[in-house]
Amino acid sequence: MSPRLFLQVASVEMRKRMSYRVDFWINAFVGFAAELTVAWFLWTALYAESGKSVIGGYDFDTMLVYYVFVIVFSRLVRGTEFEANVSQDIYEGGLNRYLVFPASYFGLKYAQHIGGLFPTIVQTGAFVAFWLIATGGAGGESITPTGVLMCAASLILANLLYYAMSFPLHVTAFWADNVWSLLVTLRFASNLLGGRMFPLVLFPLFLRNANEWLPFRTLFALPVEALLGRISFDAWLQGMAVGLVWLVVLAQVGRAVWRRGNLQYSGIGI
Amino acid sequence: MIRYARLYLYFLRFSFSRAMEFRVDFFFRIFMDSLFYAVSLAFFWVIYKHSPFMGGWNFDQALVFAAGVFLNDALHMTLFSNNLWWFPVFVNKGDLDYYLVRPVSSLFFLSLRDFAANSFINLLIAVTILVWALTRYPEPLGVERVTLYCGLLLLGVFLGYVLNFLFLVPVFWMHNASGLRETYFGLGQLSGRPDGIFTGWVRRLLTSLLPFALIISFPTRALFDAEVGSVVLQMLAVTGGLFGVLLLLWRFGLRAYASASS
Repeated sequence: MSPRLFLQVASVEMRKRMSYRVDFWINAFVGFAAELTVAWFLWTALYAESGKSVIGGYDFDTMLVYYVFVIVFSRLVRGTEFEANVSQDIYEGGLNRYLVFPASYFGLKYAQHIGGLFPTIVQTGAFVAFWLIATGGAGGESITPTGVLMCAASLILANLLYYAMSFPLHVTAFWADNVWSLLVTLRFASNLLGGRMFPLVLFPLFLRNANEWLPFRTLFALPVEALLGRISFDAWLQGMAVGLVWLVVLAQVGRAVWRRGNLQYSGIGI
Repeated sequence: MIRYARLYLYFLRFSFSRAMEFRVDFFFRIFMDSLFYAVSLAFFWVIYKHSPFMGGWNFDQALVFAAGVFLNDALHMTLFSNNLWWFPVFVNKGDLDYYLVRPVSSLFFLSLRDFAANSFINLLIAVTILVWALTRYPEPLGVERVTLYCGLLLLGVFLGYVLNFLFLVPVFWMHNASGLRETYFGLGQLSGRPDGIFTGWVRRLLTSLLPFALIISFPTRALFDAEVGSVVLQMLAVTGGLFGVLLLLWRFGLRAYASASS
């Protein structure tokens, strides 16, 4: 797929998303505020009731910064996971038009996915800027240019990886009448094992060690830890390598399931 | 009343026969909710490794609370979720007419017509977890307290339904409910944590005007707190008040509804 076509598809999708401005900001702001409120009260209570000033290597301010970034980054990683989706094309027969296009279906859908992500990037910038101005910094952590670069690279990989994880689930629509529950299942699993619910360092050691080799950690924890400088360069490289291997494996799985499903696609929708 | 009960039995029959047609989805749903339960229990398990209390509750109490969250979620998903999901679509496409011309309460018909039989198994799993959490509790709870707790849990489910509907009713005037729905889901997270963690005006807000903290935490309080009278009264008053507001808004909304051109 040519980069020009990719950018064009992404641009159309971006303009479509930006046209629903009220919903766009309500969804973003309420979700962010509610999650942060829960995190703020939860950890205020936990630090007070445990009598500790540091839990899992995080003091209260740093813990809050972790949540701010993990909430906004998870939007960048997941993008519009339930919209512009593959399963809908299969159910409604909309896949027909893509099959005759002289471009890869995966590439076109990923371009739409990236286009739908642009509004989220605007929101992310706004929320992070607001947070940094309001609080005057990133807790006790120092954000360095190297950390920002490592974080950006992690986010790109994480976005691709999450897409590669959800693609085979979407493609299950060739056989199943509803794949929504599978996508929600992925969401639950990645929330817990990806560090979306709390920093992974809070897990017992045996779980932490096992999780190092799963793809979930790359999704949310790795970009935030890289940005906050809470991970060494070697450990970051290892996390990226694990994520890359999983990306290749999942892309192959997605391709195999896609090919198999295509053989029985009737083109009239369900 | 008997007419409504008989009508509801018909809803159940249709829903189960429909669910059996889509068996794969049936099993996916069971898997999804089982994972939700596992992830939530893991969350509490990990958190309590680092603190003996959360919002004033110890691990055993938090397990009962978590089981209450599962039961509430399963009941909401089984009874109301599908119906409320489609309500804004019905308003915008004019399909609400179908519900308005029936000789029964339109609110009853719309809210309960689609019984999610594919979530019913999850309801059984949630009940099992609740029974396990209650029986493993190290101190005697007493039959009266447990009965009161179960009653308040059901009231909490009703309160959750009322709140959900209140967030959707403005679709009569706004026509686009996506933002409202997301707002409800966003705020809904607040009911999944013990109310004891909230303080100040946020706590007052969450136990009165936006009573998300009442839905599951207050029934759990009725099980563990020494004084339960105020807990019960507050739940009844807030639920009754909000249901009254819902009935009023429903009436006004129907006046604004212009069928297919809505």
